[in-house]
Amino acid sequence: MTWNSLINILFIALHAMVPITLTAVGEIVGETAGLFNIGLEGILLLSAFAGVLGAGYAGPLVGLLVGMGTGMAVGLIFSVIATYWKGNQMIIGIGVNLFAVGAVAYTMVVLGQPGYRLLSFENRLPMIRTPAGGLSPVIFVALVVPFVVYWFLRRTRAGLILKAAGEAPEAADVAGINVNRVRLLATTFGGMLAGLAGAYMSVSWIGSATKELSAGRGFIALAIVVFSGLNPMLALVGGIIYGVFQSLAIWIKNTPGITFLPWQVFDMLPYVVTLLVVAGAIGRVRFPKALGEPYKRE
Amino acid sequence: MVQDGLPTQETRLEQLFLAAHGISKTYSDGTEALKTVDLEIRRGEIVGLLGENGAGKTTLTKILSGLLSPTEGRVESPRGSVRFGSPREAMEFGIGMVHQHFALVGPFTAIENVALGHEHPFSRIRLAQTRERLEALVEESGLHVPLDVPIEKLAVGEQQRVEILKVLSRDVDLLILDEPTSVLTPLEVDDLFNLLRKLRTQEKSIILITHKLKEVQSITDRIVVLRHGKLVGDVKTTDATTEQLARLMVGQALEAGASAIELRDEALPIRRGRERAGPIGEAAIVLHVENLMARGSTGEIAVEGVSFDVHAGEIFGVAGVEGNGQTELVECLTGLRAPRQGSATIRGTDILRKDPKDIYRLGVAHIPEDRWEVGLILPFTLAENAILGIHRWKRFRGPLRILRWQAVQKHVTELMERFEIRATGPNAPAKSLSGGNQQKLIVGRELAKDPEVIVAAQPTRGLDVASAKYIRELLEQMRGKGRAILLVSADLDEVLALSDRVAIMYEGRFMAVCVPSELTREKIGMLMGGVTSASEEVCRA
Amino acid sequence: MRDRGLPARGGERILRRGLFGLSPIAESLVAAVLGLGLGAVIMALSGFNPILAYAALLKGGFASTYALATTAACAAPLLLTGLTFAICARAGMFNIGAEGQVYMGALAAVTLSYFVLPPGLGQIVGILFAMTAGALWSLVPALLRVFRGVNEVISTIMFNWISHFLALYLVARILVDPARSSQTVRVPVSARFPILIRGTDLSYAVFAALAFAVVIYILLWHTASGYEIRAAGFNPRAAKYGGIKSTRTMIMSFVLGGMSAGLAGGAMSMGTPPSYAVFAGLSQIANLGFNGMAVAMVGRNHPLGMIASALFFGGLTAGAREMQMTAGVPTEMVSVVQGVIVVALAVPELVHIFRIFRGRWPRLLGRRGEA
Repeated sequence: MTWNSLINILFIALHAMVPITLTAVGEIVGETAGLFNIGLEGILLLSAFAGVLGAGYAGPLVGLLVGMGTGMAVGLIFSVIATYWKGNQMIIGIGVNLFAVGAVAYTMVVLGQPGYRLLSFENRLPMIRTPAGGLSPVIFVALVVPFVVYWFLRRTRAGLILKAAGEAPEAADVAGINVNRVRLLATTFGGMLAGLAGAYMSVSWIGSATKELSAGRGFIALAIVVFSGLNPMLALVGGIIYGVFQSLAIWIKNTPGITFLPWQVFDMLPYVVTLLVVAGAIGRVRFPKALGEPYKRE
Repeated sequence: MVQDGLPTQETRLEQLFLAAHGISKTYSDGTEALKTVDLEIRRGEIVGLLGENGAGKTTLTKILSGLLSPTEGRVESPRGSVRFGSPREAMEFGIGMVHQHFALVGPFTAIENVALGHEHPFSRIRLAQTRERLEALVEESGLHVPLDVPIEKLAVGEQQRVEILKVLSRDVDLLILDEPTSVLTPLEVDDLFNLLRKLRTQEKSIILITHKLKEVQSITDRIVVLRHGKLVGDVKTTDATTEQLARLMVGQALEAGASAIELRDEALPIRRGRERAGPIGEAAIVLHVENLMARGSTGEIAVEGVSFDVHAGEIFGVAGVEGNGQTELVECLTGLRAPRQGSATIRGTDILRKDPKDIYRLGVAHIPEDRWEVGLILPFTLAENAILGIHRWKRFRGPLRILRWQAVQKHVTELMERFEIRATGPNAPAKSLSGGNQQKLIVGRELAKDPEVIVAAQPTRGLDVASAKYIRELLEQMRGKGRAILLVSADLDEVLALSDRVAIMYEGRFMAVCVPSELTREKIGMLMGGVTSASEEVCRA
Repeated sequence: MRDRGLPARGGERILRRGLFGLSPIAESLVAAVLGLGLGAVIMALSGFNPILAYAALLKGGFASTYALATTAACAAPLLLTGLTFAICARAGMFNIGAEGQVYMGALAAVTLSYFVLPPGLGQIVGILFAMTAGALWSLVPALLRVFRGVNEVISTIMFNWISHFLALYLVARILVDPARSSQTVRVPVSARFPILIRGTDLSYAVFAALAFAVVIYILLWHTASGYEIRAAGFNPRAAKYGGIKSTRTMIMSFVLGGMSAGLAGGAMSMGTPPSYAVFAGLSQIANLGFNGMAVAMVGRNHPLGMIASALFFGGLTAGAREMQMTAGVPTEMVSVVQGVIVVALAVPELVHIFRIFRGRWPRLLGRRGEA
């Protein structure tokens, strides 16, 4: 392994870390407030596609914004159904995922490019040039956001309110907090971050959107949320670890010298690792008591 | 309706804090919780709100404190009509409520819990400021409590103090307390009442919700009685007798038996109507418990070295304020919790750390204290609930392991008849039954197993008088048949009236085990309050 | 062991709503109408003619013997994967792993090609292989949940992806047909499900699915074990008090669910002419798991309801091709409709909200498509 390949691996790892970290941090905010969004996968897919469409028409920044907007919209719908309409969060999430797969594939066909949507080079987000290679600016966003959210949750009263809504919504209600509104805002924010993650993948990192773009990353993010114990800093750590593994898998797949293991094993690796993490990590993690339950006043 | 607590017209306005007119509340499922209730609250007065379970006391106060909105009626203050759309609005008006089930966030400390109700959402938490205020408040009110411990680690009495501090910190003019003494020892109750009197001198108003007659007579200026959602009495405390109040609460002339339980005086009634073949000591020991120690759900020690025996043909009662380890004790003996140490046997067979199924096979029946979460599966029908625990019995098994629903139907119909369970039919969902009938279903199911040992935890909690009486009689019948019964009840009167011997439980230990006739109110109060010097010379049982 | 992770009381919540009376059926109907309605809107916006499209859909799904046969053939595996979700939902768990369990079942059936089969027992052996493979794949997440408290939603999803790549590998390298590298070896003739109606895809798989559904129905409502599963699904604490071991019910439901999904996979390889093999891209067996969840939800997690629901979704799939040919609407529209239906079902007061809309906008209702 040369120095060059090491740098290469590192760069890819940083890129791969972004969608997981952003999505996970967003979900941490949502789960702290008490909502469990299993539809992250669908949000990633929808926003990746929307991002490509937006960037195709008006450039990369618009693409990112459209992606974020899509994420927010889905997050909003999810939280309205889960809070005000007291819907079952698991089912909503599953429905979102089903819908996303169909909607994206359908729209791709209607727009003439079934299965994928390419983004021309000018419309991709420009990379920051370093002597060793290109880095997407979103990477820095993904590095900073966990700290900001951590500060927000631990050090502001808004963070306290969020935790109260997730932990003891009755107490929060009595203290004058509008629990449903808090949860709505939290999940919409989470959707926004996931939307950014999705748009990043298509507009900045890969440069195209396919039906399988999300590849289970939404679920891996959920696992990282568990691993992190709802601590955004640990989510960053988890994201980086995932990024490194993904990067290694790609490197091994592309390096001709390594043939003793089939490439599928390496594609499997992130999921196996996630499983091990989740199986090992649970036990020291404590979830908000009201997670997953809609709040009723009477 | 009795009404003589109103002041004269002149003094009315300046002393009035709040007046509610014609308040009605019908819930979305059709229950009429309140029917045109009028209530006046004056400054500097303590009003007792009396009534049985389901009378509407909590609903009325939830309306006053902004948690619920009335279906009809209005609330007025000297400044005009007011409407509270949320607890926050009520709080700003000056009304704060201390709930029966505390509105506290578990992992937060006392300071964080208090801070929750203050300040603008996006300011950095001025925790230091909140701390100062809170410490001053603690001194002033005498409610001492650790401020930096997550409140889920505090004892129930301490949690209640945090809850009260939280409300007081908002400078309320009207303080509503919902059954505050149900989790306190007599000593803690005294502390609380002293605080209330202090607040009264500061011209604050207090509404005290309770169902305890002695209490309401000792602290209040005025008593308002609700029954089935209607206002049936509004009297000056000094003018009302205990009998009068009880009658207003329950709504009928009480029969001799019930009145002995409802109205309590200094001396306790001797056990009535019992025959027994011989003294208890001679009957066989069925349940033997030795040095049982167990931890509670939050990790603290809940049961600390409890030892006792229950004989055949005996009702052994465990009295004490809820939260002193009774729940955990019962759970250890019924296979729902693993103890740390100790032993417990039924006729010599070990019952600790076993599956409930194995324990039932020894002839044990368990009437759980939580009928909704543990005793019944609410979405199931009566029939399905009636075989919970016995669903694998041979009589319900057909060829190829099929469940014979016909046999089940027969069983449940018999149960419904024998135990007078009122429902639309054996296939009605269990949640459609009233509390009393649900409890009868559970009791019937358990007793139909013809058990040798019955563990009954809070068997009449929340029941109407008739159902409660019925169940108590059933327990006495079982005792008469020679069964061994462990009765755990927070209803002091009930446990004293039914038990042959009673243990007073405090903080995980049996303070004393006595025959009820040896106990006076005063002694019980001290034992429940953990006063150890009393236990030396109390009983020999 | 109690789940120390994320919320998993799904089954109970799905069922608690409107368990008695007409309202569950009404809810499913309303959701279906909503889904189809939204689909119509999307189609119109994309420039297609929704009426033409739905007419073609109906035709392709139900208007001829061939159509009905195709519908039934599509419905059979959906019924099975739906049962996977439904059984576990009744036990209070979320088993999202049907997808992967199907892959394992399909591949297990294909391995029959390496064995000498006893005469006349080919299909039975195939079914057993497939069910066992599915059950084993489902068992591991169950054990993880019971002994390590791992939330089954995450573990089953991870297993789906693991099996996806495992299957790809097996199809491409281990089980590959030496003559045709794009598919696996074929299921031997003696193990293939006979075709019921010549010229269609409808095989005896349909009977297997129906039989399994009936067995599950009897199991859940007429045996003590089924009673225990349902009880623990509604209220684990009360079940424990009743002497029911939730570990047992959890594992049992997952094993049964895995068997069902495995059978679905097996039915695909053993019952799909002309190849009777699994393709390199796993195209025939992909998405059966996820679509099965929609079937289960619309069918209210009840085996008998799910038969109707499976026929509905089977009809959608069968008619989609006709819809594409006649009206030009891409077949992916079916997924869109499905997603909306599921989201709609998540709303407990759906019928109530629907009535509010109906009160305000009665005209809007008249234009909606029909199921």
